Amino acid sequence: MRFSVAIASRRRGLALGVLACALLPSPAEAHLVTTGLGPIYDGISHVLMSPDDLVPVLAMALLAGLNGPVAGRRTLFALTGAWLVGGMAGFLVGQTLVPSTITTASFLVIGGLTAADRRMSPTVVTALAVVVGLLHGWLNGAGIAVSQREALGLAGIVSAIFVLVAVASAFVVSLRIGWMRIAVRVVGSWVAAIGLLMLGWSLRG
Amino acid sequence: MKGRVSRTESWAGLKAGPYNSLLAVLMLLVSAAPAFAHVQQGQAQGFLTGLRHPVSGLDHVLAMISVGLWGAQLGAPAVWLLPVTFPMVMAFGGFLGLVGIPLPGVEVGIALSAVLLGLMVAREAKPSLVAAALLVGFFAIFHGHAHGTELPPGQSGLMYSIGFVIATGCLHGVGIAIGVVHKWPAGKAALRFAGALVALAGLGFLWRAFA
Amino acid sequence: MTRLVRALLAVLVLIASARVAHAHEVRPGFLELRETGPDTYSFLWKKPSGGEIEIYIAPIIPKECRLATSGQQQLTPGALVVRGTLRCEGGIQGKTVAIDGLESTITDVIIRVHHADGRLESHLLKPVNPSVTLGAQTTGWQRSRAYLRLGIEHILLGIDHLLFVLGLLLIVGDRWMLVKTITSFTIAHSITLAIATLGYASAPIAPLNASIALSILFLGPEIVRRWRGQTSFTIRHPWVVAFAFGLLHGFGFASGLTTMGLPQAEIPLALLLFNVGVEIGQIFFVVMIVLLERAFRTLEIRWPRLVEAMPGYAVGSLGAYWTIQRTLLMLGGLR
Repeated sequence: MRFSVAIASRRRGLALGVLACALLPSPAEAHLVTTGLGPIYDGISHVLMSPDDLVPVLAMALLAGLNGPVAGRRTLFALTGAWLVGGMAGFLVGQTLVPSTITTASFLVIGGLTAADRRMSPTVVTALAVVVGLLHGWLNGAGIAVSQREALGLAGIVSAIFVLVAVASAFVVSLRIGWMRIAVRVVGSWVAAIGLLMLGWSLRG
Repeated sequence: MKGRVSRTESWAGLKAGPYNSLLAVLMLLVSAAPAFAHVQQGQAQGFLTGLRHPVSGLDHVLAMISVGLWGAQLGAPAVWLLPVTFPMVMAFGGFLGLVGIPLPGVEVGIALSAVLLGLMVAREAKPSLVAAALLVGFFAIFHGHAHGTELPPGQSGLMYSIGFVIATGCLHGVGIAIGVVHKWPAGKAALRFAGALVALAGLGFLWRAFA
Repeated sequence: MTRLVRALLAVLVLIASARVAHAHEVRPGFLELRETGPDTYSFLWKKPSGGEIEIYIAPIIPKECRLATSGQQQLTPGALVVRGTLRCEGGIQGKTVAIDGLESTITDVIIRVHHADGRLESHLLKPVNPSVTLGAQTTGWQRSRAYLRLGIEHILLGIDHLLFVLGLLLIVGDRWMLVKTITSFTIAHSITLAIATLGYASAPIAPLNASIALSILFLGPEIVRRWRGQTSFTIRHPWVVAFAFGLLHGFGFASGLTTMGLPQAEIPLALLLFNVGVEIGQIFFVVMIVLLERAFRTLEIRWPRLVEAMPGYAVGSLGAYWTIQRTLLMLGGLR
């Protein structure tokens, strides 16, 4: 049973790998936090301390919140679920794939969409959340495997993301005042700007 | 079934003042952060460098604040369109610089932007939204090109970019906040006077750029 | 049918809890060196013991030093104590002390060196950095941060305390009641934490742990009563219950501080900051739960009945599990 799961994820990993390598190769970097409080808290503080995961998560929550409670609700479960699945697959395969490309793309796409604030159907938002969750989760899982840490850290990461997305997207959903929605869009444009600069950094090498 | 109803009621009692506590949590997070701080030195350094960079040059600061001031004068759509588009256009300028596409006369461009933006504020000019956005966007490219690319070696590019964008956004915020005085007649005059000062300073920068 | 499902669920939670219930040893170890003569130090090592699991950590003394112990270990309640005399050629300055086995635990070790000139040096060793080079002086600010941190970590790792707070949250009716209940819990455990740390009273660790577990178990039926719309003294006045059991939990918090063998002069500071740390962790937990619940309603999430009942069942069944486990441990200790 477990074996077949491993094979399936390996195949998906291969497909993803080919896709990502075609885009842009870059060295793997995994920085995991050590709190001394065990793997769960290590995972939680990883999310809070690493902007390359934290910023896309928050931006995704903002985007979902701008699109109403249905999008927010589905994103909450889609993002965390995909993150967990991607993380486990990445942990089993243990191969990081072009982390900076994935991070840059998330910043650009999610930030840009948030800044634009065009009404999107909940299905599109959910699909985006699944992709983001799978890719970033994969990086986390593979990072845990590469640095030979406990897979339980993933549980900490996913629960932290669950709490962050729930609170942040509900916060945006509940915004009634016009200028506060615009503040959310401004934050989205910052995220996209950071993504653009990062694209520049990675192209310069 | 009865149980369910009573449970909902019990939570419903907690609803007053929904997200006031969010701020508390954020503050708590910030205060707890040093306890967990194992951030690599390079990361924190990169963030601080990025944060400091836009604030370090007076030409940059004045131009950013006048964008906010002008937005406040222009009113409804512009006041939020400018801060949404500016960071992205500026990042595009930085991107050009990073990729290695040269931009001639960057220093002159930045000085000119201070002069022109200052003049706009001083004259309380109200061109069409597209014209205003184009003017601001054009100079945003110069600012991004000049400042987005100076990362000291060994520091995190991501953290530098975050700090850089946040600092720029905050400067806009300062401009817009000052621009609130536009509501009062005396404030209006003060804004125009400030715009004139910025334009004068811009002339000074221009002189320096050529000298 | 639903009864069957509930029973099944309770069993599942119980099985899952067997993992959680490996409540790790979180009390810190303590190593004290006191300069008694030239190059001579009295040595005191306290290893937390008698908790739910036994940890194996021991100090590694510098190569240039020789340790003479009386050869006997003293087993006090809650800690294993070793005393002796340490002789170091050329003093302890610049020598490195490490704690063997620390990296495989989640415990901290506090190292304190009293120099002959009255200087006090202390370090907090963690699994991440299990060794330290002595000689550098720690500032009061560093020590204060260490105590604050110890408090935050103690509550974050004290799943039993957090579960009790969760139980209270499930019982309280409105916001005002929530504030009253959490405040009275805080006041109560601060009182006993202070009493125990200042040495006026103490609670033996095994019965204490068992009764803390019992306090969690106690909340289980009350939560179910609340679901059914019934009422009871606890539901009407949760703050009274929170106060009473808070007294108990305070002794539990104190175990995180007293086994350190604090120097007399530093007790007030340590007590204050440790307590503040505990409150920070606790408020963080409460605010997080309240915000989450609020977010679920804004996002219009309809949980299945089973999921909705989950926190309540977790409180009840983990409370029961710990009560049984810790009572057996206590009885085993008596034998």
